[in-house]
Amino acid sequence: MAATPSATGKTEMIDLTKLSPEQLIQIKQEFEQEMTNVQDSLSTLHGCKAKYAGSKEALETFQPNWENRQILVPLTSSMYVPGRVKDLNNFVIDIGTGYYIEKDLEGAKDYFKRRVDYVQEQIEKIEKIHLQKTRFFNSVIGVLEMKQAAAAKLLQSQQQSAAVPQSS
Amino acid sequence: MDKNSAALYKKIQTEVESYQNLQKSCVKMVKQRALLESQLNENKCVLDELNLLGPDNKVYKLFGPVLVKQELEESRQNVGKRIEYISKELKSSTDTLESMEKDMQKHQETMAKYQQQWQVAAAMK
Repeated sequence: MAATPSATGKTEMIDLTKLSPEQLIQIKQEFEQEMTNVQDSLSTLHGCKAKYAGSKEALETFQPNWENRQILVPLTSSMYVPGRVKDLNNFVIDIGTGYYIEKDLEGAKDYFKRRVDYVQEQIEKIEKIHLQKTRFFNSVIGVLEMKQAAAAKLLQSQQQSAAVPQSS
Repeated sequence: MDKNSAALYKKIQTEVESYQNLQKSCVKMVKQRALLESQLNENKCVLDELNLLGPDNKVYKLFGPVLVKQELEESRQNVGKRIEYISKELKSSTDTLESMEKDMQKHQETMAKYQQQWQVAAAMK
């Protein structure tokens, strides 16, 4: 599960234009790091969701008249043995930390549906945080560029004014 | 004067070293805390699921390669205990982290002080 990053409400109260370019660069780097973390959590969550959704889909294909139906049971990802469905209404589900529970078809479907919804909820939460961070990150870059442009201009004008008395 | 500045330099160095050590253990602590948090989350999910079960649902626990049948009530209690334990661990690691941060700040302050002394000494030369 992804850890929710701590609130950054305090940093957003600071007036960015008052910070020095060095401080801004530092903030920018910190944010880059945080954004990669958030991105990683998001991709993990999407992976989880896909896994749960896959299990749910597999259950959806189960038909009540499948008793004694022959299926291929995967022993490894590339080797299968033939088997028969004996019990249509009992599924053992891994619910984490080593616990497994037995559920009927409807219950199992319901479990995976709830899991998918839960992960979706987390994804939406993290996406919101991601959006906030992106906005802040962009404003930091904006101010930084402004400052750098101003500094470059200042340097130029200084060089020019220094060059004028020499030539005259 | 030279002797003084050498002593000061040494002081700064030890200060920097202990600061870096603290920083390292801080990073370790943060990682450990993240792990605990994820474990707590997982256990909470499991407990939620166990609480949804009726008395006719069977519960198994994985011991090595074997699934062992468990009593529902017992599993609930076990997971509850584990949540309690992890929460305690989480709290203590948060506390250590806080005290580490305080220590780090102290080191930073002394470092700044020494640096100032160094600069004053350099200016006097």
